[in-house]
Amino acid sequence: MFDFNLSFSAVVNADELYDLIIIGGGPAGLTAGLYASRYKLKTLLLEKAIVSGGQLTSTEWVENYPGFPEPILGQKLAKDMETQAKSFGLEIAVETVTAVNLVPNIKEVITEINTFRAKTVLIATGSSSRKLGIDGELDYVGRGVSYCATCDGPFYPDKVVAVAGGGNSAFEESLFLAKYATKVIILHRGSTFKADPIIKERVFAHPKIEVRTDVQINSIQFNDESDRHLQISDSKTNEKQKLNVDGLFVFVGSIPNTELFSGQIELENGYIVTDRTHQCSVSGVWAAGDVQAKALRQVATAVGDGACAAYWIHKYIEDFDHARTT
Amino acid sequence: MPILDEKTKTEVKKILSPMQDVVTLKLFTQPFECGYCKDTHLLLDELAELNPKLKIEVNQFDTDIDEVSKHRIDKIPAIAIVGSKDYGIRFYGIPAGYEFSSLLNAILMVSTGIVKLAEETKAWLSKLDKPVHLQVFVTPTCPYCPPAVILAHALAYYSDKVSADMVEISEFPHLANKYSVQGVPRTVINESFYQEGAAPEAMLVAKIKESL
Repeated sequence: MFDFNLSFSAVVNADELYDLIIIGGGPAGLTAGLYASRYKLKTLLLEKAIVSGGQLTSTEWVENYPGFPEPILGQKLAKDMETQAKSFGLEIAVETVTAVNLVPNIKEVITEINTFRAKTVLIATGSSSRKLGIDGELDYVGRGVSYCATCDGPFYPDKVVAVAGGGNSAFEESLFLAKYATKVIILHRGSTFKADPIIKERVFAHPKIEVRTDVQINSIQFNDESDRHLQISDSKTNEKQKLNVDGLFVFVGSIPNTELFSGQIELENGYIVTDRTHQCSVSGVWAAGDVQAKALRQVATAVGDGACAAYWIHKYIEDFDHARTT
Repeated sequence: MPILDEKTKTEVKKILSPMQDVVTLKLFTQPFECGYCKDTHLLLDELAELNPKLKIEVNQFDTDIDEVSKHRIDKIPAIAIVGSKDYGIRFYGIPAGYEFSSLLNAILMVSTGIVKLAEETKAWLSKLDKPVHLQVFVTPTCPYCPPAVILAHALAYYSDKVSADMVEISEFPHLANKYSVQGVPRTVINESFYQEGAAPEAMLVAKIKESL
């Protein structure tokens, strides 16, 4: 049975003055879009990928989002969020934002094709996979090194793969990879794991998954097809070892997608600093979801951020329009 | 059993409503040794019912040798998206999953003539004088793949020098070996240059320039 996904860019008018432009179509952006559309704000969501959902689309199963007692596919949840927001009139355009001008009263959001103007901007650009930063890593992206198990897992039937990381992503995606690979070896540089206890139990009980702690990955050697391997060492004893694997999946945290905004709004370790209304250091600019400086980055927290930001944006727009007409 | 459900059909009808010119989906198929030919044929038949400007032409890969060579088809199932001319837009393998959006996108682009490319890219394409063949390797469950396919198809639409294929890699595992594809999307440029991931337009163009 086939699945058919329909995602289409809205036809947009760059001459329009939008009440709100949302940058990023993950759970935070889509929820803000849903709420803003219900507040009847003239809203445009810009998403660089044709498929909305952000990192949710590269997550196989979501089982900690309330309301779904059976695990739900990340890709389905993302699609449903998009459909729901669009049903209230949210316009989603597939355009990549290349520059922003956030400081003036009327903000500018510039894409590869258009320059849009808006009274407010909500930044929901999320975060990207952090790289290991070791020799060979970037050379082998797409040829053995991957940051997306749902994308690239199927390339490893009957193969051995290593997973770098010790958090929820590393553990959850290892369970997915174990459906294809004969063996999954989790390599964690520390000795304790950040993954939730329930996921840990499942991973430790899985017959195909081996977990190793205190491992430093030093380099990736995938050139010789008959001898693809990693050079690893024990971070306590410094003992070096060659580990033969066919692929390496990296889940070692994330980095915020904020390069576009640095210098215009306050950042903390790259993440956007907001007040309790989710507003940034610049008036008329909000942030929601993973891109915000905060403690917990989950679908459940992102949708809360998005809803809350949309509420305060709607309040701001009321005052903004009132000030312009009086 | 129908391949598209009623809800999807309603949505497709809406999406295809801006169609202007007639678009012909030239399917290349074969009754044997082709895992997804039958389903691809069914999909196109159902699709063609959803807009009168959408036509289907079925070619047999093993016997319609003239059409096969004219469209340079080397594997099946294959779909050539042809409008007032052949722009070199191809789909190899069934365009299901996220690639269904890429298929509709190609149909709309050819039918309406609306192509989303930066002005610099268009200027460069107008002067392009060497052939460029893009093969975008994808899987149907890859959410990052349609942007890479759509970009490649847009370049093919705009320039006669560019041809662009979507290749659903799980149906052609020998090509995964040949081009050492272990991650998608991967765009192969003129057989020898590679672009990983859904690269921004400027990055892909730079890579193509490097290959020439």
